[in-house]
Amino acid sequence: MSIDITGVTKKFGDFVALDNVNVTIPTGQLTALLGPSGGGKSTLLRIIAGLDSADEGSISIEGADATKLPPQKRNVGFVFQHYAVFKHMTVAKNVAFGLEIRKRPKAEVQRRVEELLDLVHLSQFSHRMPSQLSGGQRQRMALARALAVEPTVLLLDEPFGALDAKVRKELRDWLRRLHDEVHVTTVFVTHDQEEALEVADEIVVINEGRVEQIGSPEQLYDEPANDFVMGFLGEVTTLGGVVVRPHDVEVALQPSGNGEVAATVTRVLRVGFEVRLTVTTETGEEVIVTMTRSHLRQLGADEGTKVWLSISKGAITVARSGGVPATV
Amino acid sequence: MSTALSGATIDTTGPVSPQGRRPGRAKRTTPRNTLTGGAGLGLGITMLWFSLLVLLPLSAIVARAAAGGWDSYLDVLRNDQTWAAVLLTVRSAAIVTLINIVMGTVIAWVLVRDRFPGKAILNVIIDVPFALPTIVAGLVLLALYGPNSPLGLNWAFTETSVLLAFAFVTLPFIVRTVQPVLEELDADVEEAAASLGASRLTIFRRIILPSLFPAIIAGATLSFARAISEFGSLVLLSGSRPFETEVASVRILSFIENGSYATAAALASVLLAVALAVIVVLDIVQRRVARRG
Repeated sequence: MSIDITGVTKKFGDFVALDNVNVTIPTGQLTALLGPSGGGKSTLLRIIAGLDSADEGSISIEGADATKLPPQKRNVGFVFQHYAVFKHMTVAKNVAFGLEIRKRPKAEVQRRVEELLDLVHLSQFSHRMPSQLSGGQRQRMALARALAVEPTVLLLDEPFGALDAKVRKELRDWLRRLHDEVHVTTVFVTHDQEEALEVADEIVVINEGRVEQIGSPEQLYDEPANDFVMGFLGEVTTLGGVVVRPHDVEVALQPSGNGEVAATVTRVLRVGFEVRLTVTTETGEEVIVTMTRSHLRQLGADEGTKVWLSISKGAITVARSGGVPATV
Repeated sequence: MSTALSGATIDTTGPVSPQGRRPGRAKRTTPRNTLTGGAGLGLGITMLWFSLLVLLPLSAIVARAAAGGWDSYLDVLRNDQTWAAVLLTVRSAAIVTLINIVMGTVIAWVLVRDRFPGKAILNVIIDVPFALPTIVAGLVLLALYGPNSPLGLNWAFTETSVLLAFAFVTLPFIVRTVQPVLEELDADVEEAAASLGASRLTIFRRIILPSLFPAIIAGATLSFARAISEFGSLVLLSGSRPFETEVASVRILSFIENGSYATAAALASVLLAVALAVIVVLDIVQRRVARRG
């Protein structure tokens, strides 16, 4: 296993950023650390890189203990949210930096820089200054710079966070393809669940300094460990104290006697091809239900209609205050 | 009038800012003259003010000295006492500027990067040498490094006293030019270099220093210019002994006191030329380094 994080705790004053975190990150895969802002995921990444130190616990990279190693000796590539370019150097010089300070022969440095710039599609920009590049190009340059030293692990801290939505999506696809080519063990931090689900082989969900769940995107989506993971990976609503996805709530005009909950449609909102109903039960619980527009037309319900709600068969549900997933 | 003025100040920011961002020696893409009506007024006011305060008085000095032809310059410099004074001034200013480049950067570093009690006070005190009347500066230095020195360091009336006075009055320049640039440096740039394997020394030399270089050069220029013009603190401290501790500005004063205005003007324009040369050289150095990267 490539990175072993054992019992890592980190406090900033009274604030507990990481609380006894244990994670193993597999070799050669693309792993996402996913969680809300301030949840400790960036801190964990910085501790792996040696840019911050853990108060307790240990980090080992490729089987070797790295807990006490300075960042220079960990052989990790780090990519920052705001690119961290060396402003006074050309694109080629930025990429060459790690190799030059390792005193590699000039010809080798030049060859490797050309290779990498080719890999990140920046060959024609090698003599430009970073200020002449767009955000997306700068981040690709930063990635090439990190890859130049052939790191054992590549760490990316919200790499696309500062880019606009369109570029972010492009770079996300591109990162996935790049990883399929390069196969370096990669960990990236994101608060965007869509990004994590789309790009990662494995996702570690971190919240309030604790690991909530580790698994593949499918596992997390289909078998969420608790209501936090379920809520973070997609829209949820509650029905009778059970957390469920809004499209898994069935609406009927007549009860069939299988324990449906009586309720009234209080609001109908059309969002594109989808309709979002707010339905209030007799106990005052507000349930969100989504369905297609044609389904709603067939059903014939509108604001004020009395309906019966149930959770559809095979739906993923989780008890509200954490617990084991249950399937109805 | 006032509305026209405010319009002018707003307009001038337009044509100036893109030039500042122009990297390296890229071809000029903006037209040479982008002055709008308001900006033209702004430029006019700038030039009028600058002319009244700087250009015209300077021209008057040069014209006065030039009235005697080249010979008047050569005669001034051929005078051994004057030549010694010029050499002492330029040499001391150069040495002090080099010292300031190191010490000013170190002080700025400490003020920005380190945390210690009394930091806010030190940050204010840095400007004292600049704010103090220079005659008081001379008095202060004389108390510590004069004949009654509690440290046993009697440097009064020696060449060292000239260095001391120069160093005292020019201390804040590089500190104050480097400090804001250092504050603006992103921590993640240094972290990026560290994770690429750069030692602290390499990070300082390859990443931090190049970013500080323009600020250091700007401060060095100010520091040198201030040093060659120093006068007040030397009156008490150096004793202005001919061939030993007499600096050029004191020499100019004695020419004026003797009524030889033309000689004073000639020496003044020599100092002017030296200052100009240093400013140009430092600017060229800075551009070279900026381009090399």
